[in-house]
Amino acid sequence: MTEKRTIEVGALARVEGEGALHLTFEGDRLTDLRLQIYEPPRMFESFSRGRRGAELPDLLARICGICPVAYQMSAVHAVEEAWGVAIEPPIRALRRLYYAGEWIESHLLHMMFLAAPDYLGLDDGFAVAREHRAEVERSLRLRKLGNRMIALLGGRSVNPVGVCVGGFHRIPTRAELSELADELRHARGEAESLLHWFARLPVPRRPQEIELVSLRHGSEYPMNEGRIVSNRGLDIAPAGFDDAFEETQVPHSTALHCRLRGGGSYLVGPLARVLLNREQLSPSAAAALSSLRERFAGADLAASVFARGIEVIEAIDVAMDVIDEYEPPSAPAAPHTPRAGTGHSATEAPRGTLYVKVETDDVGDVRQIRIVPPTSQNQARIEDDLRAFAPGILSLSQDDARRRCEAAIRDYDPCISCSTHFLTLTIARRDASCGSG
Amino acid sequence: MRIRVIGVGTRRGDDAAGIAVAEILARQALPAGVTVRICERPGADLIDEMDGADAVVLVDGTRSDHPAGTVRRLRSGEIAAGPALSTHALGVREALGLADALGRLPARVEIVGIEAGDAREGDLSSPVRDALPLAIATVRAVIEETASAGARGT
Repeated sequence: MTEKRTIEVGALARVEGEGALHLTFEGDRLTDLRLQIYEPPRMFESFSRGRRGAELPDLLARICGICPVAYQMSAVHAVEEAWGVAIEPPIRALRRLYYAGEWIESHLLHMMFLAAPDYLGLDDGFAVAREHRAEVERSLRLRKLGNRMIALLGGRSVNPVGVCVGGFHRIPTRAELSELADELRHARGEAESLLHWFARLPVPRRPQEIELVSLRHGSEYPMNEGRIVSNRGLDIAPAGFDDAFEETQVPHSTALHCRLRGGGSYLVGPLARVLLNREQLSPSAAAALSSLRERFAGADLAASVFARGIEVIEAIDVAMDVIDEYEPPSAPAAPHTPRAGTGHSATEAPRGTLYVKVETDDVGDVRQIRIVPPTSQNQARIEDDLRAFAPGILSLSQDDARRRCEAAIRDYDPCISCSTHFLTLTIARRDASCGSG
Repeated sequence: MRIRVIGVGTRRGDDAAGIAVAEILARQALPAGVTVRICERPGADLIDEMDGADAVVLVDGTRSDHPAGTVRRLRSGEIAAGPALSTHALGVREALGLADALGRLPARVEIVGIEAGDAREGDLSSPVRDALPLAIATVRAVIEETASAGARGT
C-alpha cells in the first residue's frame, strides 16, 4: 500500500512574477516535481528584430522593473562589441556606479521584504516593519540611495533611459558626484549594521555540492565584463556561451531551462559571485565575509541572503572608488557608426549572469538577438535543489511544507517576469488505497 | 496644521491626472500650511513625501467601473489589494500600509481619485482633462474640511 501525497503551491508569494510548484510523492518517493512558470511569453527577442541596434538598451530595460540596468548593460555592451565601439575609461567607471545602484536597490528589496519574513516567522514585509522598525527604515534609506544612483545616470530610477551606445545621454556633474559620495560614506556603516542584524537571525543551513557560475575579472569584482567561470573549471569568454551552455524547452514552463553542455544544472547569482570572486572584494566587504566565513565554507544556498548583504557593501565601495578616481570623459558618449556585426555580452545582474547576443545588419538594425536571464539559468538548479530537499518536508503539515519550499525557492531570488521565459506550489500526498490518487 | 497635497502618478496618458491637479494647485493661492508635491514613484518614496505632514491629500488616477473623468473621495481601505508585497506592486496601498507599520502615517489621509480614460500615452484624454476643475474643487474642499477639523482638534 503506497501513500501518494501531492503538495501544491498555487501561487508563490514574495517572488517577482507568477509561478507555481507541484510535488507528488508516492510513499516517501518523489515521483513528480515541476516548477511551473506560467507568465505568458513576452516576445522581447521577436519584437526586437528589425529595430535599430541603438534602441536595444531602452527596449530591453523594460523586461524588468527591478533590474532594468542589467538589461541595459548587457544590451549596450553587446551592441558596442558588434559595432566596434570603444568606450572611454570614465564611461566604463560610471557604468559600474550605475550598476552598483541597482545591486543595492534590488538586494535590499529581497533581503528585507522578500526574505526576512522567512527568518522571523512573519507573514510579510509589513509585519517586519511593525516589529523591526529601525532595520526596515535602514533598508529603505539604502534602497533610496541605490535608486538615486540609478536616477543620476539613468535620468530616473523607474524605467531609466540614460544609457546609449558609447556611453550615456548625460554625465553627472562633479557636484552631483560629491554629494553622492557624502551619502555613500554614511551608507556603508548602515549596510554593515544591517548585515550584522541578518547574521543574528535563524537563517537555516542548506549546504550543497553544486556548480557555481559567474563572471570573473582580473582586477575587480565583476559587473560589466569578465570571463564566465565556474568552480569546476569552466573558463570561457562570453562569446563561447553557446558552446558551454544549452537552453531547452520543458512543457511545464514558459521559461527555458539552461544547463551546462555535458553537465547539469548550475547556480548563478550573489552566492556564486561571492564564492568565486572573494579575493576581489573591497576591504570592508571582505571583512564582512570574514565575519561570516563559516557560512561561506561551501555553497550554502541559504547563505545567499548574506552574499547579498556583502554585495551591498561591495557596491557602496565600488561607487565610492568610482567617484574618488573620477575624471570626466571627453564626451558623454563615444561616436559610433551603426554597421553589421555580432556582439556578445555577459554582465552580472543582481540575480546572476545575464547573457545577450546581438547580430546587426549593414545599417545596424537587429537581425537576431538572444537573451538568457539569470532566473532562466537557475531554474533547473532550483528543481534539482527541491528534488533533494523535498523528502525532508514529507513529515510536515501542508502549510509548513509549502512555506519551506517557498523559502528555498526565495534563496534564488527568482525574477519570474524576467525569465518568462516563471511560481504557485502544489504538493500532492495522495493515499492510493483511498482512491484519491 | 500642515496639510500636504500629493499628486501621484506618471507622466503618461491618464496616469498623469493626479500630477496635473497638483501642478495646477501649486500655481494657485492656497491656505497657510498647505504644500503641494508630486510623487512619480508611489512606493517607499511616498512615505518620505508624507513625512512632517499632519494630513495628506493624495490625488491619483483610478481604474474601476466608473465612467472616465469621475472624481471621487476614497478611503485608503477602498483601494483594491494588489499582489503580495513586491516591488512590482509597491503601490499607494502598500506604501500607506508600510507607513502605518513604521508609525509614519499622517493622522489623516484623504484620497481624491480621478477615473482614468483610455489614454495610455501622451496627453490626458478629454474626459479626464474636463474633470480637472472638479478634481481641484474637490481637493480644495477636502483641504478646508481637514483644516477646520484640525482647528477643532478632531
